Amino acid sequence: MDLGLKDKVALVTGGSRGIGAAICRELGAEGAHVALTCSSRVDAAEQVAADIRKLDRQALVFKADVADFSRAEQVVAEVVEKLGRLDVLVCNAGITWDGVSWKMSEKQWDQVITTNLKGYFNYNRAAARVMKERKWGRLVNLSSINGLRGKFAQVNYSASKGGIIAMSKALAKELGKFNITVNVVAPGMVMTEMAQKIPPEFIKKAVDETVLGRVADPRDVARVVAFLASEPARHVTGEVIKVDGGQYI
Amino acid sequence: MFSWFGKVNFTPHTKVDEFAEHLRQGRLMGSRCTKCGQQSFPPRADCPACLHDEFEWVEWDGKGKLLTYTRIDAAPTGFQDMGPYVIGLVELEQGGRLVAWFGESIPEDKIAMDMPVQVVPRVFEEIEEIKVYYTLEQPGTSWHRAPRG
Amino acid sequence: MSRVGIVAVGHGRFGRRSDASVQELACEAFRAALQDGGLERKDIDGTVIAAVPEYHKQRSLTGVILEYLGLNPLAGWLTEDACASGSAAIRTAWMAIRSGLHQVVAVIGCQKMTELTTPEILALMGRVGEVQWESIFGTTFPGYYAMLARRHMHEYGTTKEQLAAVAVKNHYYGARNPHAMFRKEITIDKALGSPPVASPFQVFDCCANADGAAVVILAEEERARALGGDRVVWLDGLGAATTTMSLLRRPTLVSLPSAVEAARQAYQMAGVGPGDIKVADVHDCFTIAEILAYEDLGFCERGQGGRFIEERQSYLGGKTPVNVDGGLKAKGHPIGTTGVSMTCEIVKQLRGEAGERQVEGADVGLSHNVGGNGQYCFVHVYKKE
Repeated sequence: MDLGLKDKVALVTGGSRGIGAAICRELGAEGAHVALTCSSRVDAAEQVAADIRKLDRQALVFKADVADFSRAEQVVAEVVEKLGRLDVLVCNAGITWDGVSWKMSEKQWDQVITTNLKGYFNYNRAAARVMKERKWGRLVNLSSINGLRGKFAQVNYSASKGGIIAMSKALAKELGKFNITVNVVAPGMVMTEMAQKIPPEFIKKAVDETVLGRVADPRDVARVVAFLASEPARHVTGEVIKVDGGQYI
Repeated sequence: MFSWFGKVNFTPHTKVDEFAEHLRQGRLMGSRCTKCGQQSFPPRADCPACLHDEFEWVEWDGKGKLLTYTRIDAAPTGFQDMGPYVIGLVELEQGGRLVAWFGESIPEDKIAMDMPVQVVPRVFEEIEEIKVYYTLEQPGTSWHRAPRG
Repeated sequence: MSRVGIVAVGHGRFGRRSDASVQELACEAFRAALQDGGLERKDIDGTVIAAVPEYHKQRSLTGVILEYLGLNPLAGWLTEDACASGSAAIRTAWMAIRSGLHQVVAVIGCQKMTELTTPEILALMGRVGEVQWESIFGTTFPGYYAMLARRHMHEYGTTKEQLAAVAVKNHYYGARNPHAMFRKEITIDKALGSPPVASPFQVFDCCANADGAAVVILAEEERARALGGDRVVWLDGLGAATTTMSLLRRPTLVSLPSAVEAARQAYQMAGVGPGDIKVADVHDCFTIAEILAYEDLGFCERGQGGRFIEERQSYLGGKTPVNVDGGLKAKGHPIGTTGVSMTCEIVKQLRGEAGERQVEGADVGLSHNVGGNGQYCFVHVYKKE
């Protein structure tokens, strides 16, 4: 299937590692020019950009804390200025800061909600302003199966990931008339460098939960994101697609 | 689909339904008779010249001249929340005429009889339903058309 | 070819008639007509109702009118052409008589405009032009004529003072017409100081909706002479024409082509010209409409209508007295009835029965009745022997 992403311009937040990096590479492989943000690991982000340029595609790196509202407007404006347009936005940047609720500090709550939920609002809003003038757009927001179900010690994370789903549905209703689709990808456990630090027994628990007997490779998530960003997916909006190997059915 | 057209729409059924979808994509479309070639704006399913019933869509560039206008202070039902609004009657360079509101680029004190105007397709952005219309703007005002295909 | 004559006229009081139903209003005018002509119901052999039905709660008005007036089993049907319904119905009656199918026909104009609530009326008023391409932008009836006015002002220099002068004249005569809705004179300043409606129109540029009824009874020549004696007024010239409903395809914005053509037909049929008209009732739904009428009917040159009123040429004693019964402006406009009301006035003038509003020596008269925003026009020329 031709995803029709050749020469389209995509912006991915949190694109320096893990799922975000895989998304950037997948979109690049499909022919898109890619801009990515990262909050700290600029070197890793530059590596991703270099890999994309090897595909004869343009790539830009922005250092940005996604919680910064006006920085989001700046980044989007610069993408449009330097790459000529913005067709696809993938919001992926997110953090966890686990703890049981009765011991969770105010800062633990605020930081996760602001980065994960407000950060997505900042970029979705800035991108929508551009895309609605061009009457074509794809907004793909990464959530988690822990936004669909509650996870122990993740009151803040689950709240933010659940919020992303409702926010994306509201956006879908507002932006449909401008030919912009808004969808959510909700992965289960994904084997990223970050996940490699998780104790093995937790990984085994996750594998046992899946019906396919494995946890995801970042490319499993990236390919679904690429589909939702594509022209063939033009009639899918307000949808949540789990990529969890059947971890939560 | 035609019910998308205008703030309040009174024509649920028409053979030129697609006009509203074209407007949503940023295109002002008229019709051309497939038998005698007569072009019409607004589009007509039935040719005014030869009454043939097949037509094709043709894009109008929206350039026109203001023939006359009025500011409506006493509004009919469905338009009262708009406050006074100004309606213009425009003769289109490609042929035909239309009635439309003035857009932001032409404030009321800048309206002049016979002035050149540009008709620009618009979408009502801040209401939930899909509703489309067009406004009269200064010549040279640009807008986006949805990519084809 | 035998002529058709008007043997009786009856006019009710126009205004906000919340005291009466539409059939009761019709009965007022019908009784007055019978008295005026010294007729009885049995003298009539057919009826035409003039009304615009969508403003009434009652469906199919004809049935209720005929029943209330006790006119069953006479044939009756509605003729409707928006605000020109009255004259359209009179034309229908004339044709019915000339066809030989009927000999004496009562035309009953009856209309209530106030049965609907204000929002219902506002919604209807917004749908007068082409609903598919114009009403969606909130066009209104005053808005259409306002756009014509602005074009006339642009091309001929017609001024707001000239528009207001039309209203001043008509209110002057309305004050002298007991059937009129508005009985007070106004000044130019009062008109120019009134609230805006649709620029350049203000409140006093626009006629008011009203309830009211009027009846005329027509007869073929022999019956007319027998019933009416020397009070018969002959309907000798009839013209009718249309132009586009929508301003999108209107050939001109400074004239009503339907009126020009209808007048041409009526003048030709009656064998007269504009200079022969001694008194006229024209369709002044808005002030500009009367100015356009002066020009379309040939009472003055194209573009000189503003000057015509400024020079008081349409007052009694002027070149062509127009709307000396108050016009739509002061009488009010019960839309289906208005054309019949015009005929009543001209008949009275030609009989010499118009009292202080009498035009000296009026022997040829004209009525000009327009429907919608100009799409229908009926012009009638009347003669006194």
